[in-house]
Amino acid sequence: MAPVVSVDGLRKRYRGSHPWAVDGVTFALEPGQAFGLLGPNGAGKSTVVKIICGLLRPDEGSVQLFGSDPGRPASRKDLGFAPEDPDFPKFLRASEVLDYFASLLGLDEAERKRRIPETLEFAGLDKERRHVRQFSKGMKQRLGIAQAILGRPKLLILDEPTADLDPLGRRDVRALIDQLKSSGVAVLLNSHLLSEVELVCDTVAILAKGRVLKEGTMAEVVPEGRNLEDVFVELVQANAPQHDQLPSFITDKPKP
Amino acid sequence: MNGTLAVARYTLVELSRRRILLVFLILGAIGIAVLGGGLKFLYSFLSTTSGVAPSNADPAAFNRFLELLFVNYVFSALGTFGLLIAYAIGMTAIYHDLDSGAAVSIFSKPVSRLAFAAGKVAAAVAALVVIMAVLALEARFVMFLFGGGLENALTLEALAVVANTLVLMLIVLALSTWMNNIVAAVVAFVYYNVLSGVVVFVHNLVDNGVIGNSVVKTILDILYWLFPHQLVSSAAGDLARAQIALSGSTPQDGSQALASIPPASGVGDILWWAFVVCFFSGMLYYAVRRRQV
Repeated sequence: MAPVVSVDGLRKRYRGSHPWAVDGVTFALEPGQAFGLLGPNGAGKSTVVKIICGLLRPDEGSVQLFGSDPGRPASRKDLGFAPEDPDFPKFLRASEVLDYFASLLGLDEAERKRRIPETLEFAGLDKERRHVRQFSKGMKQRLGIAQAILGRPKLLILDEPTADLDPLGRRDVRALIDQLKSSGVAVLLNSHLLSEVELVCDTVAILAKGRVLKEGTMAEVVPEGRNLEDVFVELVQANAPQHDQLPSFITDKPKP
Repeated sequence: MNGTLAVARYTLVELSRRRILLVFLILGAIGIAVLGGGLKFLYSFLSTTSGVAPSNADPAAFNRFLELLFVNYVFSALGTFGLLIAYAIGMTAIYHDLDSGAAVSIFSKPVSRLAFAAGKVAAAVAALVVIMAVLALEARFVMFLFGGGLENALTLEALAVVANTLVLMLIVLALSTWMNNIVAAVVAFVYYNVLSGVVVFVHNLVDNGVIGNSVVKTILDILYWLFPHQLVSSAAGDLARAQIALSGSTPQDGSQALASIPPASGVGDILWWAFVVCFFSGMLYYAVRRRQV
């Protein structure tokens, strides 16, 4: 089966003098597979995701999205991307944002009329009439997921999708991922919530400082009797200096 | 094409909801109405009470004088509001999408950067033209209070203002794609309004023979064609001619006064303007294309 996305020897740095943000990352994702990209802050997860979406250009290596360069607009036709901390044109309403993005996806009028109300209802924004600038972070996150699934993508990339969601919203996102997986959609999940990744992902890659420390199926990465968090902490601690020293004003005993 | 239309449509929706543009439009509209109505009322009132206008003055000539005064003020108002509106649109139309992160979601859709840039430019130009057209149209209606006669001057001046502010707006749009929008506005102002103004002024001195040094003349000739120079309508000349006719000056005095007014832009200037518009549209596309979000 042809991979929906394949990343080969990817390297990227933001300035010539800066260290590599992504350093030799390689993986592939097949239809119906849920892939978890894990790592501490600054590991390069969002950079990898943005390169896959054609938002950033790699310095070295290659990315194939549905067999072609993600910089080509046509290759992004079957891609759904919910960015971390999403935002939208501030003076539009949720329904207008979806109509705007549906137009960019090339959906016809009839399809827009069918999909937009249903998507808004799924996101819990169907009764929302305010402009996006008045939305809370959680509402923007729900709209971010709504616009990502609007085009019925074959690859759904979720960058920290549940960071600002309440427990009910998280449950809905998990159900969405399960449903999409079973219908053959590939899901790339980028999250700090390891318990969540453990629940929904088939394979994972753990990144630190732009490099893949470990990659494989969940069973390969997490030995029996342990959990993903233990493995993650162990791997990351072995590859990065630790800052576990608490400030002295916290550890000092209060004076009577 | 669909992508361009979608970007243009929703950028226009956004622009129509920006309070700053609405404030400029309302202020401009009220200003023009108050200016026209006020002038008419004030001069009518003063002419009958304190003798500002002689009682034996020709009413038609007096109305013409009021119209001249009104059109003079309207030209300044259109220029000022055109500038403000160009900055308001140029500083926000693309920058807010990039700054807020909305561009991340937009660029991940199957839309090309060319379609995005074209849609933004189309919406920005449409918004600028509509707002300026509303103000110019209102001014034209107000002119009927004075009997009319200078409508052509107003139309040409409004066209020149729109053409000049459009270039400024494109420069701000292009710059704000790769720098902070306030910095972009300052850079555009210094480049387009200050440096360009100085170069055009000094170049006029050369043309009038005030500066004779051939090296300086050559340098200024080159500089003149490196900066986008603003289009000038024939309105200033029309106004001056109307004023001369009204004042009853001798033809000799009149021709001296007219000689000091810069001539209207010719075909060469209009072609240069078209090139400048294409150049800055190209720069804008390049900036959008190179932009990583």
